[in-house]
Amino acid sequence: MRKLLIVTYDISNPKRLRKVFKAMKGFGQHLQLSVFRCDLTDMERFEMIGLLQGLIHHDEDQILLIDLGASDGRTHRVDSIGRVVPRERREPRIF
Amino acid sequence: MPDLDPPLVPARMLNEFVYCPRLAILEWVDGEFAPNADTVEGAVRHASVDRPGYRVRLRQRTPSDDPGADQPARAPIEQIRSVELSDAGLGLIAKIDLVEIDRDRVQPVDTKKGKRPHVERGAYEPERVQVCAQGLLLRSHGYPCDSGILYFAGSNERVEVPFDDELVALTRSKLGELREAAGAGVLPPPLVDSPKCVRCSLAPICLPDETRFLRDAGSPPRQLLPAADHTFPLYVQQPGATVRKDGDLLVVFDKDEKLGEMRIREVSQLVLMGRVSATEAVYRELLRLGKPIVHLSSGGWLAGVTDGLPHANVRLRQEQYRTADDAAKCLRIARWIVVSKLTNQRVLLRRNGGDEIPESTIEGIRHAAQAAQRAETIDTLRGHEGNGGRLYFGHFAALLRQSPFRERFDLEGRNRRPPRDPVNGLLSFAYSMLSREWVTTCRTVGLDPFLGFYHAPRYGRPSLALDLMEAFRPICADSTVVRAINNGEIGPTDFVERMGSVNLTDGGRRKFLRSFEQRLAQEVVHPVFGYRLSYRRVFEVEARLLSRYLLGEIPTYEPMTTR
Ligand code: SF4
Repeated sequence: MRKLLIVTYDISNPKRLRKVFKAMKGFGQHLQLSVFRCDLTDMERFEMIGLLQGLIHHDEDQILLIDLGASDGRTHRVDSIGRVVPRERREPRIF
Repeated sequence: MPDLDPPLVPARMLNEFVYCPRLAILEWVDGEFAPNADTVEGAVRHASVDRPGYRVRLRQRTPSDDPGADQPARAPIEQIRSVELSDAGLGLIAKIDLVEIDRDRVQPVDTKKGKRPHVERGAYEPERVQVCAQGLLLRSHGYPCDSGILYFAGSNERVEVPFDDELVALTRSKLGELREAAGAGVLPPPLVDSPKCVRCSLAPICLPDETRFLRDAGSPPRQLLPAADHTFPLYVQQPGATVRKDGDLLVVFDKDEKLGEMRIREVSQLVLMGRVSATEAVYRELLRLGKPIVHLSSGGWLAGVTDGLPHANVRLRQEQYRTADDAAKCLRIARWIVVSKLTNQRVLLRRNGGDEIPESTIEGIRHAAQAAQRAETIDTLRGHEGNGGRLYFGHFAALLRQSPFRERFDLEGRNRRPPRDPVNGLLSFAYSMLSREWVTTCRTVGLDPFLGFYHAPRYGRPSLALDLMEAFRPICADSTVVRAINNGEIGPTDFVERMGSVNLTDGGRRKFLRSFEQRLAQEVVHPVFGYRLSYRRVFEVEARLLSRYLLGEIPTYEPMTTR
């Protein structure tokens, strides 16, 4: 079972910001400045939390995880005004 | 060979052994490990304990600690992190999260991720035994130690565990039992309908309910494994393409042009087809993660697999080799394989061929299957398989809608090496992809894909993968070909003909791979277990059930048949 999460972050130091951004690329789709959409198993969610915990400064930075619930078999709509949000799913890739 | 230097039992294994003996043996002896949310969350909590600056809440001083109230303030409690201790006499080893030293009193502290359970004695038996084992190690190293602490990070609570005679005796006797079970060379049976299995990370490997169901029948198994796949192959087949690693991504380039990327976390295997390459960083990372790299020719022939260390389950491979040497057992397995394949061929024809398929053909395949069930030798079995196959491919064209493809196939019949028409080209390619999938599935569960029971081992031929895929040729390969043609996913321009041989173009190959992957991701209701899961998951369950059969846990191995 996977869950859809919106992850947003507020990081006060540019070096840590870059690290968090790079780490997040491994977990989800970059939607906007400091906003990712992630479709994760419980296990991956904890992996992500573990990784981020080690990257940030616990008094100066903050990361929010917004849980949109189960993602399996459902399509969560993200409506946008302006630029279109590219559809991205977990699936095989063939190049 | 006798083991002169028996390995030390990790205290953590003792915990698992008390939780479920099978779990400990699967992990410790067979080297099975599957992280799940619980184990990863546990590791995350442990990591924060190891981080400097993080303090486990200290034991509160109580008046009983300081009987003489007028005494001067006591020295602060000293904490030492991450202490590794072992003792050959006890036969134990442990890494203790934290040792607290309070003057003459020494206590191991073990961190648990959840909340304190509200049970008698303040904690469950596996945890109590584990911390007691840590205490025994501290004692054997000369520290006075008569109790330990379980620290529950979820509720920030400490539970004191006194090492009374009863707990010490229990710990020692479990240690003995674990050694005995590990030495006995048999897997303890699965727990029966236990709520523990729901939380167990090894349930998809152990298959407790399925094993029980196939052995003793009874109520159908609970679904303890996920229905859908979370990881998928990354195929690279565009000639000249290169795969590079960028952080946690695999990025595919054609010269300097970026074709696309995939998160490594979502990759199950990297499939390199034809003239493509990957950087050393990609190899290293995938090997580290235990994800194979499969090398194929552009036509799909298996050139090799780059894989990390072999699976630790040596016992399983020993049983596989032993069985392969036993002609009677091979015949039995081969019969199950052929019967399932013929059954699935018949179902596909009947379901999709409509009135065009004469009843005599359907009956003929049924008879072939019945005869196969009683075949006395591998050769007669091959004969029945061949008879059924001829009937099946004799009418296979009836399943195809698009006429140019259909007419040529009707004329040519089934042929290969090289395929002489588009349908045969697609069938051959689909079988290559299916056997590749089975090669990696065999490796995942610890079976050797190159030694089969029905297909004879021949140099470079993955006979076991070929055995296991037989039943799925009709329902996963043939049906994908039929659908790709009938839905127009693949058209005449997707092929090239050269000197009588018909092959897919790069674009056609890409389209067909997409159709094939869709089929493997499709969820079906398992005809025996009654739950829903993807074909890819079905493959893994099948390979594990074969392992259970080889290890003597279940009486038969019958591949899945559809109705
Ligand atoms: S699934 Fe159940 S029987 Fe199997 S190892 Fe886990 S707890 Fe034991």
